[in-house]
Amino acid sequence: MEESTAHLLPYARRPDFKVARATELSGANRRLYRLLEMIPGLLAWLTLILLLFASVYAPFFAAYFIIAFSIYWVLKTVFLSYHVRYNWKRLKHHMELDWQQMVERFKYDHFYHLLVFPFYKEPQEVLEDALEGLIKAKYDCKKLIVVLAAEARAGTAAADLARAMEKKYAHHFGHFLVTIHPADIPGEIAGKGSNTHYALHQVREHIIDAHHIPYSHVIASVFDIDTVIYKDYLNCLMWHFLTAEEPYKSAFQPVPLFTNNLWEAPALSRVMAMSSTFWQMIMQERPDRAATFSSHSVSFQALYEIGYGQANVVSEDSRIFWNLFVANNGHFQIVPIAYPIAMDATVAPTFFGTVKNIYRQHRRWTYGTENWCYLVYHFIKNKTIPLRQRITLAAMQGEGYWSLVTNPIILFILGWAPIVLGTREFHETVLSYELPIIVRNLMIVAMVGLVVSSIISLSLTPPRPPHHSRFTYVVMALQWIMVPITMIAFSAIPGLDAQTRLMLGKYMGFWVTPKRIK
Amino acid sequence: MPSEPQIKLLPYKKRQQFFGLLLVIFVVALPTLIFYTTGHRLNLSDPLSKIITTGGMYVTTNDLNVDVYLDEKQFERPRLFRSAYYIQNIETGQHRVVVQREGLYTWVKELPIDPYMVVEAAAFNMPLIPHIRPIAEYETATGTGVFLAKSTSTVLFPKATTTTAFLISAATANSSYVENEEYPFVQSLFSTSTATSTSVFSPIGTDRPRFRFSTTTATALERTLDFVEKNNMRLEEQGNELVAIWQGSSNSVPFYFCVTHTLSPIVTERYGTHVAAQVEEQRLSTTTPLLSDNDRVCRSQIKIDRKRKDIYFYDFFPGSVDLVLIQLEDGLYVTEIDDRAWQNTQLIYPGSEFKVVINNQSIFIAEAGTYFELLTEIEDN
Repeated sequence: MEESTAHLLPYARRPDFKVARATELSGANRRLYRLLEMIPGLLAWLTLILLLFASVYAPFFAAYFIIAFSIYWVLKTVFLSYHVRYNWKRLKHHMELDWQQMVERFKYDHFYHLLVFPFYKEPQEVLEDALEGLIKAKYDCKKLIVVLAAEARAGTAAADLARAMEKKYAHHFGHFLVTIHPADIPGEIAGKGSNTHYALHQVREHIIDAHHIPYSHVIASVFDIDTVIYKDYLNCLMWHFLTAEEPYKSAFQPVPLFTNNLWEAPALSRVMAMSSTFWQMIMQERPDRAATFSSHSVSFQALYEIGYGQANVVSEDSRIFWNLFVANNGHFQIVPIAYPIAMDATVAPTFFGTVKNIYRQHRRWTYGTENWCYLVYHFIKNKTIPLRQRITLAAMQGEGYWSLVTNPIILFILGWAPIVLGTREFHETVLSYELPIIVRNLMIVAMVGLVVSSIISLSLTPPRPPHHSRFTYVVMALQWIMVPITMIAFSAIPGLDAQTRLMLGKYMGFWVTPKRIK
Repeated sequence: MPSEPQIKLLPYKKRQQFFGLLLVIFVVALPTLIFYTTGHRLNLSDPLSKIITTGGMYVTTNDLNVDVYLDEKQFERPRLFRSAYYIQNIETGQHRVVVQREGLYTWVKELPIDPYMVVEAAAFNMPLIPHIRPIAEYETATGTGVFLAKSTSTVLFPKATTTTAFLISAATANSSYVENEEYPFVQSLFSTSTATSTSVFSPIGTDRPRFRFSTTTATALERTLDFVEKNNMRLEEQGNELVAIWQGSSNSVPFYFCVTHTLSPIVTERYGTHVAAQVEEQRLSTTTPLLSDNDRVCRSQIKIDRKRKDIYFYDFFPGSVDLVLIQLEDGLYVTEIDDRAWQNTQLIYPGSEFKVVINNQSIFIAEAGTYFELLTEIEDN
């Protein structure tokens, strides 16, 4: 898709602006990018192997490290729980407010909400729920531009479904567009990113430009197809857009609640879904460390200035933020709106299928490490961004990916390594015997975080459907004891898997998480 | 209705302050916990010595319901170690540990505690009254064992108790009973053995009938010696003594072979005269030298206490290489190889006219025409 680059921000005109992997570059840049791709995996493996070696050859050092790490973990739990609890209070408060009334004091009827729903082979009810959610919203639907972005590779069934939805729902909205993303466009990888990229091009051409709507008057929200908005969401988003210091230099991030099918999902899936929600709640209170995730919003103007993000990456939801960040020379931020949107928890017809899907989904999410390579590469190239900001962000993001992979393994597996692998001299010491006791006690203290999680998750759970037993509430409260297992099985291991693939240059493709609602 | 939300984004300053507070906690907690886990303790009672260094004791037990005392103070079982007691905060010096339970022999040991170090011990507690499982030749249709005797009032197992139901039948006709499949098997164990009540220390070369079991391994070169081996541990007859010999590497030698001091007076004080004597003896020996392993020296062999009696049978206690089963003149004993302070020896079946066979972790005894399995653990109520 050839297009002019005149509208792009200067930095976004670089040929390597939308680099996705080292193989797309050449010469020194290629070597640099390849090195960056290897660093996260190398660091993770090096950490784990070094600790293993230390347990064998320097068990005393390893034991001191594990004590330090356990204390760090307890304090980290307290720190993160503090953020979750604070955001929970803010979220509850925001949900009680009448955003429609609050936004009334502004003039905003010239704004349009562009809502892009890329989908693949999801069933009709998933699409209907998403569109019904928009219709039920306390917002003038005539100010909504809805795009159903189907995939040609999904076959005629997906296109037919999109057309059927258009026929059924288009009259509710100001504008409705169905786009069919052609398969196998050179330079793209199949997935949500390329589909969205295509849809944004199409909606500009066929609706925004056709109706002479200024780009600055369009707030674009790219939603996963299972996203169901709360009634006041668009008002809340509008209010935040209108009150933001720099709305055109901001991305607006809601809190994803994976609650659409929470009552149908198995406990394992619920824990993973809520854990993801909690992580986003933490990020809501630390916007300086955050990037966009899943469903989010940004002005169309900002998107247009960077050419709508990338069609060649897996973790496109976060990459769009880094595209905007580096193109705006660091002058772009996250505005956390502390308001929920409802999405699906990962499920499958069988438990094993659910486990497999959760693993794959989290491997895709943790493949977000590719964004670290991207941002560090451009931090090296774009010297307009303040040096301190570049170093801080690269370190913070790097630490995030490193700790995601290593921390659970260190804590729950390698923490015992000196006791198992240590020398005879170590085994005869008080330290060797006290180590498991002190680690166990610290982990018990860290359980406070799980109690907080349990309470907050129950408060965010949708009302119990009549056919579900009240006993499920008890299960929902106790399900958090699975966290040590889920952290390893669905965070650390898929993360290590993803980082190892990137390290070895075995690039991942996009995997569509199956959506299923009974 | 407010024009804006009342709860704002968590202020950066507040986050930083909270982070700072946690950082301070980390900086304070880390050295404190390292200080603690290495064995240091605050001593508030002694103004002269505010900080004391402690050691620990790790005692494994073969029974989960024993009581453990250190210097007459009882200790609770830590939840982390299921079949062992880890006793913390022990001041340096000699300490007596007692492991006991009603109905079981009491195990006692006196061990030295060094700062920062944990001393290990493996306690064992055998039933005071032998507990057996009779093996009858016949069974009823419901599986109850049936012994044929002249009178139903015959006492078949006068020295033992059992919780296994059995019948004594005076009937000579046994057609109403079925044969117990286990009986011929156990009988065959004894018929293939040459167990006897002759001392194993009878002069070598004589036609001494000896019981030996299938695990016995003897090489051609060692034909004149009798021994049994298990996991690098060998029980061997040397002259009129039975010794346990470690045959593995020096870094895997069991803890009780080793001493951390080599000066005789100190070894005597910590482990007893007999240990000091053995250390001295092996220091000078060319055939059984001391094993040197960094901060300790280890004997390569330990003499088994036979209570100055003849041994008729010996083997490792089933499931253990630290315990030895020895049949002496007056009964069957279990003794530990660990001779620090002393060797605990417990009589598990009295008498002199019986034969012993170990098969598949079970001790079978043949006595007065009856067979039974000797049980060494008592059931919990």
